[in-house]
Amino acid sequence: MSDNVEIDPGATHESGLVTTNSFDNLERMSSSLEEIKSTNAISHSEDSNDNSNIEQLEESTNYVKDNVEEGEIEVSREWTSKSKHIFVLSQAGKPIYSRYGNEDKLAWLFGVMQTLVSFIQSSDDTIKSIHAGDTHFVFLIKKPLILVAVHKTQESEQQLITQLNYVFNQITSILTLTRLKKIYEQRQNYDLRRLLTGVERLIDHLLDFSEKDPSFLLGAVQCLPLANSVRDNISSAIISSCNKIKNLVFAILLADNKLITLVRMKKYCLHPGDLHLIFNLVQASESLKNSESWTPLCLPKFDASGFLYGHVSYLAEDCQACLLLLTVDRDVFFTLSEAKQRIVERLRRGNCLEAINEAVVSSDADWNGAGFPELRHYLYKCKSTAQFYQPPLGPPYSLSLRRLMDVYKRSHQRLHSSARPLKLAFERSANEAVLAWDTRGFELYATFEPLTSTAAIIASVGKLLDWVKKREDKLFCLNAPTF
Amino acid sequence: MVTKTDVSLKNFFIFNSTIPTKEGEELKKILYYYPITDHADVQIKNVGLVEGIINFTETFKPSSPVNSLHTNDARQLYFQPEKNFWVVMTLHLTNLPKNKDGLNNIEQMLEDDIQDNVYEALLKQSYYVFRLFWNTLYSYKDTDTLKVELEKFFNPYLKCLKLAHADILDIFNGIQYLPLDKNTFLKVQCFINHLESSYPEISHTAFLYNDHLIWSGIEPEDMQTIYQYLIGTLLPANVETELQGGSMPRNISSPFMALRHGRFITGPTNLKLAKTMGEVPVLYLFGSDKPVKYYFVVYRALSATVCFFIKGDTILTLDFFKQLDEVASPKLIALVTDIAEYCAKQIVSPSVQSESAPKFIYFNNLNLAYKSTVHLDNKRSGNLTCTKESLRIMADIEEKNGLLGKSNETILKTMNDYWVVGKCSNSRQFYIALQQKNASLIEISDEVKKLCDSELKGIFFHPV
Repeated sequence: MSDNVEIDPGATHESGLVTTNSFDNLERMSSSLEEIKSTNAISHSEDSNDNSNIEQLEESTNYVKDNVEEGEIEVSREWTSKSKHIFVLSQAGKPIYSRYGNEDKLAWLFGVMQTLVSFIQSSDDTIKSIHAGDTHFVFLIKKPLILVAVHKTQESEQQLITQLNYVFNQITSILTLTRLKKIYEQRQNYDLRRLLTGVERLIDHLLDFSEKDPSFLLGAVQCLPLANSVRDNISSAIISSCNKIKNLVFAILLADNKLITLVRMKKYCLHPGDLHLIFNLVQASESLKNSESWTPLCLPKFDASGFLYGHVSYLAEDCQACLLLLTVDRDVFFTLSEAKQRIVERLRRGNCLEAINEAVVSSDADWNGAGFPELRHYLYKCKSTAQFYQPPLGPPYSLSLRRLMDVYKRSHQRLHSSARPLKLAFERSANEAVLAWDTRGFELYATFEPLTSTAAIIASVGKLLDWVKKREDKLFCLNAPTF
Repeated sequence: MVTKTDVSLKNFFIFNSTIPTKEGEELKKILYYYPITDHADVQIKNVGLVEGIINFTETFKPSSPVNSLHTNDARQLYFQPEKNFWVVMTLHLTNLPKNKDGLNNIEQMLEDDIQDNVYEALLKQSYYVFRLFWNTLYSYKDTDTLKVELEKFFNPYLKCLKLAHADILDIFNGIQYLPLDKNTFLKVQCFINHLESSYPEISHTAFLYNDHLIWSGIEPEDMQTIYQYLIGTLLPANVETELQGGSMPRNISSPFMALRHGRFITGPTNLKLAKTMGEVPVLYLFGSDKPVKYYFVVYRALSATVCFFIKGDTILTLDFFKQLDEVASPKLIALVTDIAEYCAKQIVSPSVQSESAPKFIYFNNLNLAYKSTVHLDNKRSGNLTCTKESLRIMADIEEKNGLLGKSNETILKTMNDYWVVGKCSNSRQFYIALQQKNASLIEISDEVKKLCDSELKGIFFHPV
């Protein structure tokens, strides 16, 4: 089917993103920080993240605890009918997070979950999941925490594990894994919520985000469609404004939940999982819009042991793209602030701000005119660059994104089931026909009108791949610029 | 490549969570426990865990009681057949202590091989067979008697459980029917009606030819269990004794001569020598609201098997059996000859079926009929014409059927380029394994269309 496509659309030799396997468990952690610090002698030798005390951390993060009074939610009918509960607890059974309801009122339930886990551990075994009709219970034991999902969705166990890993990483990104472990080594009974005020909101948002956005499912990032020249201009504006700054690891520009460009220190790549956490942080923190912020941030896949420091700001009043400059130096706020000003000036001069605004507003709706009358929607993931593209939602999915996501999740699950992976999965129901296709270079998930013949579907897919190939330099970041 | 170990049973137990127990007397709740070698503390611990899981899951108001627990080393399946009664089966995912990566590999493979829907079906079957002969658990007012009966049934039953060869057919638990032409079918009907009207004690009758059901007068759900029992246990055991001469006198010149006459295989198996009736098995049918008790009398001649369901309050006498035999035997022999003749005409020579021809499994939810060209025999021996992998993929498709609506189609291409197709329409399910490498989606969907036309004539598949 793909004979006419020589290089898979969107594929390049070099990628700024670490490529992912499906259901990457985010297990592999590197220790990039030490490496960077040792190669570039850091001005401040004193860099004891782990000892920074609680108050300091709370100050330095910009999160404000929302004081919304939790209603008296206990185990009500409304509570039990939630489609997905997420619980986080310590190994000792102390509540840390519950997606719905007040943790203190649910303390007994956390107790039960801890008992179950330790009961099964006592016979040298590990609990993985429980299934009861439409309700599934998935356990992830990730020392020193226990994460539990209770869901009535159609997602697979693997998909839930991925989601729980994201929650774990969200917590690590605030505390670092080293600190998290140390806390429990010192006091098993520690109430972690004291350190996580405001983080609940991030986790809440992450969960909603990961349910709606296919990027989590695919382990990939969507790029803002921009002409290649514009994207190059933006990257070079960032490089030329920052190349004098030591220890700057990543510069990330994003808008509308899509990546515009990623400039990186040579040798270092960013994992999509880390980038998703950054997207989540930007999206969930309204306060970032008003001022420049300076925030410590641990990227668990990059280095779970320590913090990067981020200068976070929106480009300008008239351009809602967010720029993050991530460094290992903890006190270069002003240097980076100046660099940001230079970047904005250059972009303004190069008319890049308008180009970004235009790309955000124009929904790229012309794709349907490209001769795919029966094609409703699709996801195209280029594996080698961990990027994907999806057209804007059209009918009938514009009103039921959740159903479309269910369809994609089911297809993804079929292709990537750990037990019996597949090369191709086609399903036809009264609602739609779905083709999911996994090749060496790309993954494609496409939904069609339910009665489309297989011949027409294959023809469409061939044409679609050509179409993506033709526009690949606009739809994907094909370069992986470095400082 | 590591050799795979087979699925094996870790434990199997039945308990009633409401039997009041004092501290230290938890053992009383347990009605049956296998293996007996597990220490009482272990038994209590295991039951305690299940109770904990039941309570925990109920908090979230699931659509059905808990079905399964997955852990690293084991898979536990639950079935609540009657209020407060739980049947639990635990399967080992590994038999060996895990220390090296290679062994973990086996574990992973076994874990993937154990499909909840398949083994849950196996668990349910075990209860239904028990209920068929021993009535409901609830009907026992005295737990001690119940415990004895459960042991009588489950000890041998669990030994014969073919865990390794369980597959999608266990989910269907279907019946193979033999389609006949009108005339032959009417002859079978006449035979049955004649017997039923001559002997009012006979409430219902079922008629089988070899492994195929021709007529059944009882509810399909009951027949399902009886069919499995007949095909899986009773008939194979008898065919063996027939072949060995068995209860027949050995001095008859040809062993086949003996078979020219019908005989009872439950009840008085040798009428000529019988002085007493022997023990006639009793079973319970649940088609109506309340369980109804019947004597289960199986009569066999040549390849035909006739099951008589005789009212439970009848007083059976040896005379009754002798009379029945005299009436039935000649008619049945003639009837079987007719059926055999008809079948001989229908048989398509098996050489037409090439190795690479598509293999399929068909199941009709309405009459529980199934047909399989994947399984070469009825013995659950793992004698297959397609890969086990393909069979498992079929069960994967079955699991997701409910999400796709009443009519749907799934076409999957495996990592080694085989294709597995599932089609659902009109309460019928059709699964096909195609071993055609290098085929395209279009070719496969055409091939499936052809197969539906040739094999399932007259069954309307919705375009979707």
